Amino acid sequence: MLVLLFKNFIRSKGAKIGLVFLLLIGFIGILIGQQFQQKQQNNIAEAALYQKEHIARNAAFHKDEMGLLLYYIKFSLINKTLPLNPLAIGQRDVNPSIQSVTIRGLEGQKYDAELNNPNNLLSGNIDFSFVLIYLFPLLIIAFSYNLVSEEKESGTWKIVSTQSENTFVYILKLFYIRILSLIVLFTFLLLLAVLILAIPPDFSLLTFYGISVLYILFWFAVSFFIVSLQKNSNFNAVILLTIWLFLIIILPAVINTYIVNKYTIPEALELTVKQRNAYHEKWDMDKKITMDKFYQHYPQFKRYPLPHTEFNWLWYYAMQQAGDDDSVKQSQELQTKLEQRNKVSQLIALFVPTLHAQLQLNEIAKSDLGNQLLFLKETQRFHEKMRLYFYPKIFENAPVVEENWSKFKVETFTDSSQTNCLKAFLPLLLFSLLLIGLGWGNFKNNRKEAF
Amino acid sequence: MLLHKEILIAGHLKKAVFKNTAVYIITAFIGIILLYAAFSGWENYSNQNQTSEKYQQESREDWLNNPDKNPHRMAHYGNFAFRKSTLLSVFEFGMEPFFGNAIFLEAHKQNSANFSEAGFSNSMLRFGEISIAMVLQLLLPLLIFFLGFNAVAAERENGTLKLILSQGISWKQLLRGKILGVASAILLIFVPTILVLVLLWLLLQDFTISTDETIKMILFVLFHFIYLMFFCVIAVLVSAASKTSKKALISLIGIWLVLTIILPRTTQAIGAYLYEAPSKIQFNSDIEKDILKQGDSHNPNDIHYKAIKDSLLRAYKVDSVQKLPFNYSGFIMTEGEKISSRIYNEHLENLLKVYDQQNSFSKAVSFLNPYIAIRNLSMGLSNTDYSSYIDFQKQAEIYRYTMAQKMNALQVKYISNKKPGPNDKPLSISKEHWADLEEFHYEPKEIPAILKSEILSIVSIFLWIIALFILLRIAAKNLKAI
Repeated sequence: MLVLLFKNFIRSKGAKIGLVFLLLIGFIGILIGQQFQQKQQNNIAEAALYQKEHIARNAAFHKDEMGLLLYYIKFSLINKTLPLNPLAIGQRDVNPSIQSVTIRGLEGQKYDAELNNPNNLLSGNIDFSFVLIYLFPLLIIAFSYNLVSEEKESGTWKIVSTQSENTFVYILKLFYIRILSLIVLFTFLLLLAVLILAIPPDFSLLTFYGISVLYILFWFAVSFFIVSLQKNSNFNAVILLTIWLFLIIILPAVINTYIVNKYTIPEALELTVKQRNAYHEKWDMDKKITMDKFYQHYPQFKRYPLPHTEFNWLWYYAMQQAGDDDSVKQSQELQTKLEQRNKVSQLIALFVPTLHAQLQLNEIAKSDLGNQLLFLKETQRFHEKMRLYFYPKIFENAPVVEENWSKFKVETFTDSSQTNCLKAFLPLLLFSLLLIGLGWGNFKNNRKEAF
Repeated sequence: MLLHKEILIAGHLKKAVFKNTAVYIITAFIGIILLYAAFSGWENYSNQNQTSEKYQQESREDWLNNPDKNPHRMAHYGNFAFRKSTLLSVFEFGMEPFFGNAIFLEAHKQNSANFSEAGFSNSMLRFGEISIAMVLQLLLPLLIFFLGFNAVAAERENGTLKLILSQGISWKQLLRGKILGVASAILLIFVPTILVLVLLWLLLQDFTISTDETIKMILFVLFHFIYLMFFCVIAVLVSAASKTSKKALISLIGIWLVLTIILPRTTQAIGAYLYEAPSKIQFNSDIEKDILKQGDSHNPNDIHYKAIKDSLLRAYKVDSVQKLPFNYSGFIMTEGEKISSRIYNEHLENLLKVYDQQNSFSKAVSFLNPYIAIRNLSMGLSNTDYSSYIDFQKQAEIYRYTMAQKMNALQVKYISNKKPGPNDKPLSISKEHWADLEEFHYEPKEIPAILKSEILSIVSIFLWIIALFILLRIAAKNLKAI
């Protein structure tokens, strides 16, 4: 009977069109991911090459003054792009995956945006996760909204209910076929992505798959519940689409607006204004004030006394440092606010399956806000490391030619935060179970009247 | 009476629509969303403008309060360009969340616009945002489809269609009446929304309205009205062409999905796929390479600058740059700024060309998709579109260039050519000169410029009007009762 039901399902024109359509868009999503991946790889290769040339050229120009040379040269830190990343591009298109910084004040450089066409950002990526989050539910709805109602409307339901022993099992079989078809389709697409994008079969991939399957099941659970209400096809279609609209467009948008307005970040602008002043005002102040602050921050550099010249690099970099030190409060506030934004959105997402799935997929692919915040922190560490390495050399005016410049290669940051599987899976699972339970109850209660 | 029968039909449909309790629920729901959208739009707008204004003022005061110093140091002290929103952006956020809000403007260096809302948000933003424009462009069309899908199809199913047609009502009258009915139902939401909108709009500018803002607002309302009428016509036409109301519903929802969700993303993705834009690192290193080719003012052996030096020495008949009657390094920096800005602008033009190519697909599709046409138009009117963003960047860059060159001119004119010794006080000029540089003011694009850049959208909306009229005629001739 299952085979028959399957044949019946797959023979219908709508099912075929839907599956082919999804397959096609899924494939396009993979291609877009692949292009993104290639672009990232090119950028990284370029950054490495650029840094090498850039340092060599500047070291040749400014061979007498270490301080002047370090004024110019930039060092790059790369936020590692996971092989899974092209599947869920997330925020990686908005935020740069490469930070290039000089050892001067960091706050003025840290938030430099990537070059972007805002039109592309506005419409968003059609990546693999988009196909899963937006389009799979639509097909699920299209496949199941009329499961019982259609037969009732066309009058075949009576035949079904008299011929099969248990109509409930019959309904389950109808669902089973559709669930299986879509999961097979999804698995096929994911395997295709794994092959095209050379994704290693690791734990991340498994979690990615797990969330996706649970997400598909969640939408079937929604359909199952609505079908269990046993209304007519038009009602089912309208109500399911309203749920889709609500969960995919309205609710996330409302939550986003709420978070943006609740956690406003005037700190960002305050930070830049403050940092600029903190550095520049030092030019017109007694040098001693700047130097005292500097020695306080770095007692180890007390051994370099201020030379008696009007301008010197020790004082210059102490001023630059002062820009960062004086704006540290704003900087921390900004970071705290962003962490709050991240935390609150994750918390709310626990109750909105669509949002939860999207955030989790991005988290696994290391393309979420959390990853960006870690990258910013790492940039700070990286910057500090370069500072501490070069400060003594500048203060001693170490000969430029004696430095082995070729050793300053681009560095890579790997986000090693682990995904909490329980937190990732549980909300989707619980919502699905709840809906299935409610639906089952409806079928049971209605059995006497309906069948 | 004119259109008497149509009005009867319309009234009948409206009555039927409001018999359905679900309609009340959905309408109330949309009402709540609209209020929320208005509220959060307002909050967003006043927040952003207050902060922008505050820091713009603060940075201006900081600039003026700088003590006497070398103007070149002022050129590095720099200025900020903060973006302020226009009134209509309360209703239409457009691309605003993706723009940076602040650009730091300094000599020799073109900075990016930083601190966009998107950079500080979780991926949630990609699901879209709640704004009045979003409700008008996305949700109301869907509501229209929900209201209108069985306008004719249900009559056909019930067998009343034959009855109506046999009573001497023509297809033309029937279609017109049904469209009128759906439209009047939707106007019950649209009109109050617009009233709230106008009130809010008046409040925000304290009832002192400018002509430019008024025209923008009128066009905003007018085009959204036309846009919604399109969907009324489409709903009734599809309903009339479908055998059952279920088929009509499915087709209409399919149309809605393709127009509002799938097409905008796909066309933009195709553009971005075909025309690859350079990354920031590539863009910057290309500029650096070109500047090196043209002449590097930081390289003492550079040929270009050596030639300038030699010709200056010859013209003023002196043997060293210190003996020139003006500040030599200021002169060189003027030249350097000119060259580097020109090169930067050339590269920027090329980049913008790539972006234009990327956008051309979705722009062209506005002929097939009224959603894209209205979205572009409404973003244009509220100055939250792509071209406004570019416009802001360009104005900021012009200001940056003026600032740098003004400071260079001050240096050339007032700073002595003799280098101070290692222990001398640095050369400086009076702080009064800082006020010579005017404050940065962003002037949003006005109506003529907007209409010019949105001409494609306007043309496509007019073509849509014509196309739907023709379709109505064809339908009235060819539709069958069974």
